[in-house]
Amino acid sequence: MKEDLSVVGKRLPRWAANDIVTGAARYTVDLKLPGMLVGKVLTSPHAHARIKKIDTSRAKKLPGVETIITFEDVPHKIFNPSMMNLVQHHPEGELEDMYVLTEKARFVGDVVAAVAAVDGATAEEALDLIKVEYEVLPAIFDPMEAMKPGAPLIHDYAKNNISLHMSFPVAWGDVEKGFSEADVVVEATFQTSKQHVSQLEPCSCVASFDASGRLTIWSPSQHFFPHRRKLAELFDMPEGMIRWINPHLGGSFGKYASFGVEPVCVALAKKTRKPVKLEYTREEDFTGTATREAYVETGKIGVKKDGTITALKENMVVHSGAYFTHSSATAGVSMAHFLGVYRCPNVAAEGDAVYTNVPVSGGCRGYGIPEACFLLEQLVDMAAEKLGMDPLELRLKNVKKHGEFSQMGLPLETETQEKCIRVGAEKIGWKEKRARKKENGTKRYGIGMATFFDVSGGQPFELEDRNVYIKLNEDGSANLITGAGEIGQNFLGTSAQIAAEVLGLRYEDIHIVAGDTDSSLWDPGQMANGNCYGVGNAIIKVATDVKKQILERVSKKLSVTPDELDIKDRKVYVQADPVKSVTVAEICRDAIYNHEGGHLNIAQVKVHLRRQRILHPPGQYSLMLKWIRQRVR
Amino acid sequence: MKKEIAVFNINERLYEVVLAPNITLAELLREKLDLTGTKCACGVGECGSCTVLVDGQPTLSCSTLAIACRDKKLLTIEGLAANGELHPLQKAFVEAGAIQCGFCTPGMIMMAKALLDENPNPSRVEVKEGLGGNLCRCTGYVKIIDAVMAAAEMMRKGGR
Repeated sequence: MKEDLSVVGKRLPRWAANDIVTGAARYTVDLKLPGMLVGKVLTSPHAHARIKKIDTSRAKKLPGVETIITFEDVPHKIFNPSMMNLVQHHPEGELEDMYVLTEKARFVGDVVAAVAAVDGATAEEALDLIKVEYEVLPAIFDPMEAMKPGAPLIHDYAKNNISLHMSFPVAWGDVEKGFSEADVVVEATFQTSKQHVSQLEPCSCVASFDASGRLTIWSPSQHFFPHRRKLAELFDMPEGMIRWINPHLGGSFGKYASFGVEPVCVALAKKTRKPVKLEYTREEDFTGTATREAYVETGKIGVKKDGTITALKENMVVHSGAYFTHSSATAGVSMAHFLGVYRCPNVAAEGDAVYTNVPVSGGCRGYGIPEACFLLEQLVDMAAEKLGMDPLELRLKNVKKHGEFSQMGLPLETETQEKCIRVGAEKIGWKEKRARKKENGTKRYGIGMATFFDVSGGQPFELEDRNVYIKLNEDGSANLITGAGEIGQNFLGTSAQIAAEVLGLRYEDIHIVAGDTDSSLWDPGQMANGNCYGVGNAIIKVATDVKKQILERVSKKLSVTPDELDIKDRKVYVQADPVKSVTVAEICRDAIYNHEGGHLNIAQVKVHLRRQRILHPPGQYSLMLKWIRQRVR
Repeated sequence: MKKEIAVFNINERLYEVVLAPNITLAELLREKLDLTGTKCACGVGECGSCTVLVDGQPTLSCSTLAIACRDKKLLTIEGLAANGELHPLQKAFVEAGAIQCGFCTPGMIMMAKALLDENPNPSRVEVKEGLGGNLCRCTGYVKIIDAVMAAAEMMRKGGR
């Protein structure tokens, strides 16, 4: 990193930190509009049941109830709440299998009706008055049981409850030949578990239509432009008739790569033509929103005596739960990270997505990668044990190096994985600890390691177009306008640092405008650890352009060439003679309030980064080494 | 349910409210008085996000009836900064980077306030124990503890 950086690399407050510590920051759950109704949902108490009849007549008569909606009142359009089929390109896409309100409950928590009323207490009372007659159907909770003939069918189209058979598109070599060349072959099956995302702010949304039918929606999202498009398609609206605003967001962790409660909330607002707020209770959030997919994953590895890996194969059963959601996207990511870590001439992976009557899955931190790492690293350890080889040496022999190809087919730009393993091993005392006695009375000692890689940006499968505006103000400050949002990592503060650094301004001179589809250019969303890298590069590009325009303008004023100038701490100065200077504020005022027609286009600049190669491949490697002491009975 | 008129002393200001006896303190603050700095994440007293001080005692506002807090002195996150100046805890949270998504922050700060009022010189273990009932899903606990330790020092040196 350059030594003379003045803003980047400094400890600066998180964006909007003062609002957060004083309680002034507004999250979606804090919003209130005049005349706003409160929405509540009625969920199925049965894991699997057909709705025979819903009687809402008594509930509708309750004073204060504005509307009650069931599956008959919502668009008869099938959809998938995941945004991945809009921002990812992969052959199978994500299957669509959901309705806004369901006619058949497929898990405890499936939404069958919704109420909008003047307040929460009235809405809750109305829920109690809705009478639903269910035909309870046999339910199934284990994906392996669900695939057996005769298991209850959850979606009519999916025979044996298998929604999709998936093969990893970037396979190569001949795995069977690879296994025949191996001296040691290990095959094992592991089961990973579901995990709820559990963001602290309960899933919530505020939706409001204006008199011309334009919808404004305030809701947490990691992908609010794709969300807007999906909402537009679902409710038969042009995208331009929807404005999506991301308020402060109380955690996402992958959850808001899907719709939360937006479709139901919008349906209520559309019916009542009044603003509606729908906020889940923690219990509704736990049962009704995204969990990590559970996998039953079988891996096979072939290794020669000298430790060379000859073949890798994976077969996964993806436990989707009641609906498909992110099943193919997470499985694809998981397969890529199972096959991609080690150099191997023969790789293949396939899997089946399976329905059961458990709550829906979705995006959740790591997005299939922890599961891939778990399976792969168990296999490597087992192979090392069979070979009688140090598991660390086995890994070092096979990790990919600079210039080799990642599983996505792009060359690796770093080779830190090898270094990471070596440094980690030294720091933890790998050799010494392995040489120690492993047993002492009732105690057992052990040491283990695992390694994996992660990407920064999901190319070539994901759209990574990043767009930024910079607008200068008369006081020399700048608005940084981005379609990317803040989901808790201080990405917006980082963005301000980058802009300030390039423009020669101070951190506090950058005013961020973010999280609004009306004021910013399109952005794919916050995903795949690529936000800072992608948007950051767009900021560098646009800020460099703005700086060039400022320097050109100043060069005419000071009768020097632009190359002779630079900007630092809000001042444009002649490098050879820093006393000769003007402030950025002076030049901005001059450029904006200019009656002589000399107005330069420094007020607005945009940039469009498309498929920039450096976004991919892996920028990060991690290594986990752990010395474990366990007492055995 | 019969509503009553009640007066609440919140952040040294009196509020007269008409309310039903089953309204929780969190509902009173957030919905009736628009003091939305106090957050509700679980609604059942598990996560600590809704912590406010009632007569100086840390209290889970989601699990406390509002009516029970009449005639008591309430302090919420909105009342912590005085005369436009942040409380040492607020300053320390900003400086230590003890904020990620920020949703747990108000509850953390109020709980830490109660802790430091009682024990101005806590050990790290005592801070951990004191904040044991407050969840941060972003898992930024180390910096939160750093911030409370830093605030304690600031306050011992004469900050509020």
